[in-house]
Amino acid sequence: MAKIVVDPITRIEGHLRIEAEVNGGRISDAWSSATMFRGIEKILRGRDPRDAWFWTQRFCGVCTTVHSIASIRAVENALKIKIPPNAELIRNIIIGIQNVQDHVIHFYHLHALDWVDITSGLRADPAATSKLAASLSDWPNNSTTYFKAVQDKLKAFVNTGRLGPFGNAYWGHPAYRLPPEANLMATAHYLEALEWQKDVIKIHAILGSKNPHPQTFLVGGMAIPIDPDSQNALNADKLIEIRRLLKKAQDFVEKVYIPDLLAVASFYKEWAAIGGGVGNYMCYGEFPDASGNMWFPAGAILNKDLSKVVKVDQGKIAEYVDHSWFENSTGAGKGLHPYDGETEVRYTGPSAPYEYLDTTAKYSFVKSPRYDEKAMEVGPLARVLVAYASDHRETKAVVDLVLQKLGVGADALFSTLGRTAARGIDCLLVARQNTRFLDELIGNISKGDYRIHANEKWDPSEWPAEAQGYGMHEAPRGALGHWIKIKDQKIANYQAVVPSTWNASPRDATGQRGPYEAALIGTPLADPGKPLEILRTIHSFDPCLACAVH
Amino acid sequence: MSGKENGDSALTELDAEQSEFSIGEILRKRGVSRRDFLKFCSVMTAAMALPASFAPKVAEALDEATRPTLVWLEMQSCSGDSEALLRSANPTVAEILLDILSVDYHETIMAAAGHQAEEALDKAIATYRGKYICVIEGSISMKDGGVYGSTGGKSHLARARQVCSGALATIAVGTCATYGGIAAAVPNPTGAVGVKEAVPSATVINLPGCPVNADNLTATIVHYLVFGKIPALDSHGRPLFAYGKRIHDNCERRPHFDAGQYVEHWGDDSHRKGFCLYKMGCKGPATFHNCPTQRYNEKTSWPIGSGHPCAGCSEPNFWDTMSPMYKRLPNVPGFGIEATADKIGLGLVAGAGAAFAVHGVLNALRKDKEPADDTKEG
Amino acid sequence: MSESCKYKRYIWELPVRCCHWINVVSIVVLSVTGFFIGRPYSFASSASDFTMGWIRFIHFTAAYLFTVSVISRTIWAFIGNKYSGWRAFFPLATVQGREKSVKMLRYYLLIDKQVPETIGHNPLATSAYVVLFGLYSVMILTGFSLYAEHAPLSPMHRALAFMYSLFSDQGMRFTHHISMWFILGFVVNHIYSAWLMDIKEHGGEISSMFSGYKFTVKKED
Ligand code: HEM
Ligand code: HEM
Ligand code: NFV
Ligand code: SF4
Ligand code: SF4
Ligand code: F3S
Ligand SMILES: [Mg+2]
Repeated sequence: MAKIVVDPITRIEGHLRIEAEVNGGRISDAWSSATMFRGIEKILRGRDPRDAWFWTQRFCGVCTTVHSIASIRAVENALKIKIPPNAELIRNIIIGIQNVQDHVIHFYHLHALDWVDITSGLRADPAATSKLAASLSDWPNNSTTYFKAVQDKLKAFVNTGRLGPFGNAYWGHPAYRLPPEANLMATAHYLEALEWQKDVIKIHAILGSKNPHPQTFLVGGMAIPIDPDSQNALNADKLIEIRRLLKKAQDFVEKVYIPDLLAVASFYKEWAAIGGGVGNYMCYGEFPDASGNMWFPAGAILNKDLSKVVKVDQGKIAEYVDHSWFENSTGAGKGLHPYDGETEVRYTGPSAPYEYLDTTAKYSFVKSPRYDEKAMEVGPLARVLVAYASDHRETKAVVDLVLQKLGVGADALFSTLGRTAARGIDCLLVARQNTRFLDELIGNISKGDYRIHANEKWDPSEWPAEAQGYGMHEAPRGALGHWIKIKDQKIANYQAVVPSTWNASPRDATGQRGPYEAALIGTPLADPGKPLEILRTIHSFDPCLACAVH
Repeated sequence: MSGKENGDSALTELDAEQSEFSIGEILRKRGVSRRDFLKFCSVMTAAMALPASFAPKVAEALDEATRPTLVWLEMQSCSGDSEALLRSANPTVAEILLDILSVDYHETIMAAAGHQAEEALDKAIATYRGKYICVIEGSISMKDGGVYGSTGGKSHLARARQVCSGALATIAVGTCATYGGIAAAVPNPTGAVGVKEAVPSATVINLPGCPVNADNLTATIVHYLVFGKIPALDSHGRPLFAYGKRIHDNCERRPHFDAGQYVEHWGDDSHRKGFCLYKMGCKGPATFHNCPTQRYNEKTSWPIGSGHPCAGCSEPNFWDTMSPMYKRLPNVPGFGIEATADKIGLGLVAGAGAAFAVHGVLNALRKDKEPADDTKEG
Repeated sequence: MSESCKYKRYIWELPVRCCHWINVVSIVVLSVTGFFIGRPYSFASSASDFTMGWIRFIHFTAAYLFTVSVISRTIWAFIGNKYSGWRAFFPLATVQGREKSVKMLRYYLLIDKQVPETIGHNPLATSAYVVLFGLYSVMILTGFSLYAEHAPLSPMHRALAFMYSLFSDQGMRFTHHISMWFILGFVVNHIYSAWLMDIKEHGGEISSMFSGYKFTVKKED
């Protein structure tokens, strides 16, 4: 049977290809393939472990902080370095705003066009749109004039006859359900979010010089000095600006993102039964306090069983390459723990140009990580589920509210819609929490604590001849781990198992599908020539392929 | 044009005149005031390092120019340069997408996917052959026939050759696309190279940086719209207006360098006071980039401004040549990380000294014959 | 005192001596300032101080002096007497030179006791001088290439374009830095040898670089 192919999957980071078999209007099987490889894990060998964060940061320019965090944590774990509380708080703020900004961009700019038909917004009644917007939130930009202006701009743009990035899409596809007014409102917020994201991420520039790729991390702490009496350090002026931006971030999430999310979701409730996936979820926990306790709890949920949260042990992680273009020295069918991980690339796919991959053999540059032999989904949904099942107070309150507003049960979370909703929930929780990190930081500074770096082990001559460590982080797309082995002050081995590695993984030795592949099974396609529905489910994971392969 | 393909789309109901509006006209239609437009022009003039008196010329040129077509290809990239584009402020990304350019292909933001996305690309490069701008992000894998990068079943190398050949000019953004970047670092497992090396026949403007400063990208495009030619380039193919000067010669911490005030430890008094980061490994003295003046995120900050040394990210092969990051000089191959040039040198001199001391002692212990007139002997 | 009689002979012409001592002084200055540039010590008390500024200024001034001196000596190798001529620097090119070199080497290795008489250059030393001149060129080329980066596309920068394609910037810096140590290694050797030959040959080796005269057992060469 002819497969349908979507390549490139657009509105994601990187090079992802989906091949799927369709039977009776539904997807019966699917394969997820990454078609780009760089080999940074190999390139890292022999280099200074203190530099690793700067290199691994370039795994991805979208989640542009997360590999720095995981990397410095790994080195600090290996060398037993304890960082000062201020450094931890600054890291938390950086992590927090990364999460919030990344999720909003994902919703509006990468995911929304799967649900929102921009062109239908041209027919909307601005007055009705204004009424709809006002019924959802008290966001100031909700007047008839405002929506009329947006619509006029859009019309003028369309009238130029050049649709630019909006050209040739699936507009008018029968799976689009929103009324013109909701489409216009979402389009207006698409543009607002575009402005907003570049503003709120200035927090990274203040704390870390620039974004993407902030340049401020250090093994042992942070490079941004603190001194209220210096113009070259974090002072009141900068802290207040961060507060303003955090507030701006939180406002937008509360008054625009979440209302839009709920409004759009209410038109697509059937997607609460589509796109379930592997049913196992894992989270490493995030936002450590000074004593290392995590605000978001770590844990795993197996077989969608919310009554039990399993403790995560990094020792049970192994990567398989039976369907990936690599070879392990251990031979077929065996996985490797990341400490001993290898990255021996062997491309055996078809030579380009090609129409189909041989999906019975190796078919992706993504490895297949498994936890205790099981395929795991990671990401905001995993985070929210683990927190929910752990009775995490803040999470429980928000999740229950969202479920109630949509009129669905907790089961609805195991789906494409659940994934998209969980991202919003995660975003809201973090947006609120972030100001608390800032308050704590300001509190410390007021007490005269300006420390940002633990210097004792900066000099490599203070290190043991051999050391190994791991660094875990909850990135926007989920559970991220870096593992490092240090020998003679150099990197002896470096391995990263990244959220999108888990989610985009191909089948393993036993034929177990990865989460993207599993989630696509059963998805209905209204028009296999225009597989909009594939985009919906794949985008609900927020794929990042540069991350996944690295 | 492309939008008209969908018969059932709302677009067909509109009286979509196929006219090519000028940028000035579009901005006015979009409700951008003349004043804002002129302000934008003066910002651009500054970004191009032109005297302020050029602003009217910039305005005039933009008023007449129509939206040029731009296609953006991602190769072995991390999408950091695309994200940088999203952060651009003058003009904002919305203005770039809607008013200034017609971005007909950009995988990270475009609505179309799969075959329809590829169709959009094919159509753009056929319709605007010789007139479109191609932007490339990420390195191009050359090893094993370029199997380490493909999109839509085509190798990145083949795509680059096809798209660059019909372009008015190709702008390589980021250090990966310009010089191979991180993927090309030793041992370069995929044979990654920059665009100019992969497609030597292409007209390439290099805008390195990791990522590129989006202001430099828009300034390059505006430079072209204003002057009708590509900006003057240095020997690495970089526009002089953005890469014509060293970080070190524009750095706000330079007075501390000249004074002799250096950061000694992270977070110490010298670090808090903003002293020079030279001893912490700053590569500003070796790096040509306009970071100190152009800065990032609407001029909020830049690496040295936030207390971290420059890593030299706009230089060819900086990943190998400028590392380790926290040391001023490179490591000596074959010696451990802590072996510095000074240790080796000192060892050498001390060794020579010791050898001659021994030689001197041995010499003193024996009686030599005076030099003789060997002319007599012979 | 030696039994054989000594002839006083004019060997080092004034330009040779001048260049030698200008080089000595400038290398000392360049090494001290260069070492500071490479590993500065923070002792400035205010941002308006100019400690590094002056040190770099001295480095660059000495660099010009040194460069002029090195070029002058090179030119003199084509006009000066036979002792300073360029041929003297390649003793290994002639049979006679090779013989002398072997004798010298055997003496240095404490095999022979006969101190070989040298009128002009010590034949082994000249080979080291050739290497040293190579190091001078490296210092001058890398030094001026680093220096010219403050003024990209200036005539100096353009003239050194080949250097920028040969070296990465950091490679240049590193080469410049490590070559200082090679020069200092030569200096240790050189001063020892000069002292050694001075007392062994009794030819007034050291003072010859001041006066120009050496004392030899041979009358004619
Ligand atoms: C025997 C001769 C010389 C010695 C021993 C010497 C030594 C040094 C040393 C050790 C450094 C520090 C390098 C580092 O660690 O980065 C240095 C820097 C430098 N030297 Fe020299 N140098 C010599 C000749 C020259 C010459 C002829 C020039 C020509 C202009 C020159 C120009 C420079 C420059 C531009 C720097 C970098 C200073 C800066 O920009 O901060 N040097 N030198
Ligand atoms: C930075 C330190 C020095 C350097 C780089 C240096 C370099 C040289 C060079 C290149 C020559 C060859 C002369 C020519 O043909 O132009 C030379 C010769 C000589 N130098 Fe030095 N010199 C140094 C210091 C000294 C000192 C301190 C002394 C005295 C103790 C000395 C004594 C001599 C003598 C006696 C000769 C003639 C030896 C021969 O070639 O037979 N030098 N030196
Ligand atoms: N997957 C992934 Fe990332 C994230 N979030 C990182 O670890 O996107 Ni680029
Ligand atoms: S140059 Fe830097 S930001 Fe751009 S793709 Fe390469 S690694 Fe990413
Ligand atoms: S911080 Fe870096 S670029 Fe700035 S003056 Fe110091 S060495 Fe130069
Ligand atoms: S690291 Fe790059 S961003 Fe600028 S300050 Fe240095 S060139
Ligand atoms: Mg990995």
